[in-house]
Amino acid sequence: MFLIDALLQGILMGLLFALVALGLTVIFGVMDIVNFAHGEFLMLGMYTIYWINKLFGIDPLLALPASTLLGALLGVASYYWFIKYLLRGPAIAQLFGTFGLMLFLQYTAMFLFSADYRMIDKGLLVGKSLSVGPFVFDWTKLAAGILSLIAFAFVYYFINKTKTGKALQATALNKEAASYMGIKTERMNAIAWAIGGATVGTAGGLLVNFYYAYPMVGILFVMIAFACVALGGFGSIKGVFFAGLLIGILEMTFPVFGQIIGSDFLGPHFKFTVVYLAYFIIVVVRPQGLFGWKN
Amino acid sequence: MEKLKDAFDFSDFSKAERLCLAIFSVFLLAFPWIGAGSFVKTVMIQFLLFSMFGMGWNTIGGYGGQVELGKAQYVGIGSYTVALMMVWWQIPFWISMPIGILIALGYSFIIGYPLFRLKGHYFAIATICTSLVLKDIFDNWNLVGAAKGIELPIHEHPDFLYMQFKSDTYYYYFIMVLFYIALFYMNWFRKSKLGYQLRMIKDDEDAAESLGIDIRWCKIKAYSIASAFVAVGGGFMAVYNLYIDPASVMELSLSIKIALMAMLGGAASLWGPIIGAAFLVPLDRFLGSWLGGHGGLIGLDFMIYAMLIMVVSAYQPRGIWGIIEQLRHKGS
Repeated sequence: MFLIDALLQGILMGLLFALVALGLTVIFGVMDIVNFAHGEFLMLGMYTIYWINKLFGIDPLLALPASTLLGALLGVASYYWFIKYLLRGPAIAQLFGTFGLMLFLQYTAMFLFSADYRMIDKGLLVGKSLSVGPFVFDWTKLAAGILSLIAFAFVYYFINKTKTGKALQATALNKEAASYMGIKTERMNAIAWAIGGATVGTAGGLLVNFYYAYPMVGILFVMIAFACVALGGFGSIKGVFFAGLLIGILEMTFPVFGQIIGSDFLGPHFKFTVVYLAYFIIVVVRPQGLFGWKN
Repeated sequence: MEKLKDAFDFSDFSKAERLCLAIFSVFLLAFPWIGAGSFVKTVMIQFLLFSMFGMGWNTIGGYGGQVELGKAQYVGIGSYTVALMMVWWQIPFWISMPIGILIALGYSFIIGYPLFRLKGHYFAIATICTSLVLKDIFDNWNLVGAAKGIELPIHEHPDFLYMQFKSDTYYYYFIMVLFYIALFYMNWFRKSKLGYQLRMIKDDEDAAESLGIDIRWCKIKAYSIASAFVAVGGGFMAVYNLYIDPASVMELSLSIKIALMAMLGGAASLWGPIIGAAFLVPLDRFLGSWLGGHGGLIGLDFMIYAMLIMVVSAYQPRGIWGIIEQLRHKGS
């Protein structure tokens, strides 16, 4: 009983995780760069909605486009002002560079908003729940899961069906060949960053409905996103969707297993430890992930 | 004997570099007598400690070119071994520190074996993961004090066996000795067979493999050496601070700092980590005490810190030493 409940909750969380990880995998696929600052885009998306709600009293769900837009702008700005210059250097500089960006955004948020934990307390869905038979769902989580699914489907459609999306895929497969075909690869990179930022900004806007916003919230979610991306296979969009669901279920059901066994050592403190371990085991045992095509 | 000679032989450096090293050594020896305040003294101790960490990281991260971001777990292993053995069984520092090194070595072999199946981004993220797993375990393990950490018993009288002194000067000289051991070791290391093999691996793994170098084994060896260095520093941190908790010795930001000092100064050069630490440690401490003290300015020090990382990685990935060498080539 607990297990089924945890499973359903896990699926809802998993849909959100998939949306967070989607941007990471798109950016990695197109330009082979790991964006450590991804979680901070999420954090800023959360703060955007929080402040809009606090200052103007606009419902967090109606304000969602603001966090999407902010995410996209952040993505494009960091590409043109920073990432572009990193690409000239070796891989180690790229890793440190995005790491620096991560620290910068974290501490800027801390400087501006202080280290307080902030949560939205009024809104259309906040605090309301839906009961279906024996199961109780928070409306906020339900909305987050469903809207994440819609956003994911939209990006999937964009990348697979539109001309720009196909150009993105071509760039991911072979940058040089793509540029011979007249694809402006630099613009493709910027589009990848825009998609990455927009999706993760949206996820942040959804997350803040039921999760605290604080400057360091990003590192937790970026680690989850790394695990999803590794499990799905770096650069695979289909993979990241199923991986997100799996990780969500794992994270939610793990404490329940602990309860069933009656062991303290499997308590909820360790639910994210499991995610880190999962990443480690996945990349060691199956580096290409479930659906990966890049080595 | 040959090895010892190699370690003390700095003859392949230019005259200017050797002169700088000599002046620097004199300064280090004389430092406690020039009447610096206690705050400056702690900064100097931190500087020596972090140069040592950076030199350790340099084996795998600099010469080997592997982006290693999990060194904090070995700081944790070193300091927890010393602290726990002292609290539980009153074992002196001089016995517990070597045991800490052995544990760090053993652990690094166990972790390193699967870890070095990975390359590039995969490897970097995996090192973060292993470090965070260990921190989570220590954060929740009541036997070792969980998130509260552990306090070391304070002796009434100064005690060399337990490394407890009244004055920072003793700690200063102790870490200075460790620093020089590390420096001489690194001087030998860069000329050793393993050092050359690592540089070869960094340049071209396929070519290295075709020459019969066991890439994975080389990387594991370098990784373990780095871990041992860091564990020594961790042991020192335990007796120096007299208090450790997972947040201070196993935090991700510590791993980042270690790697960053080496990279900012110039990875894969003997002087790089020292220059990096000489630059970042005072910056970190002074910014922290000046800005952090004013209530409203929390975070500003790290913002400056982060901007520095961004600028260096975008414009001069070879660090400060890279800039110096560039200027020198232009000059000559």
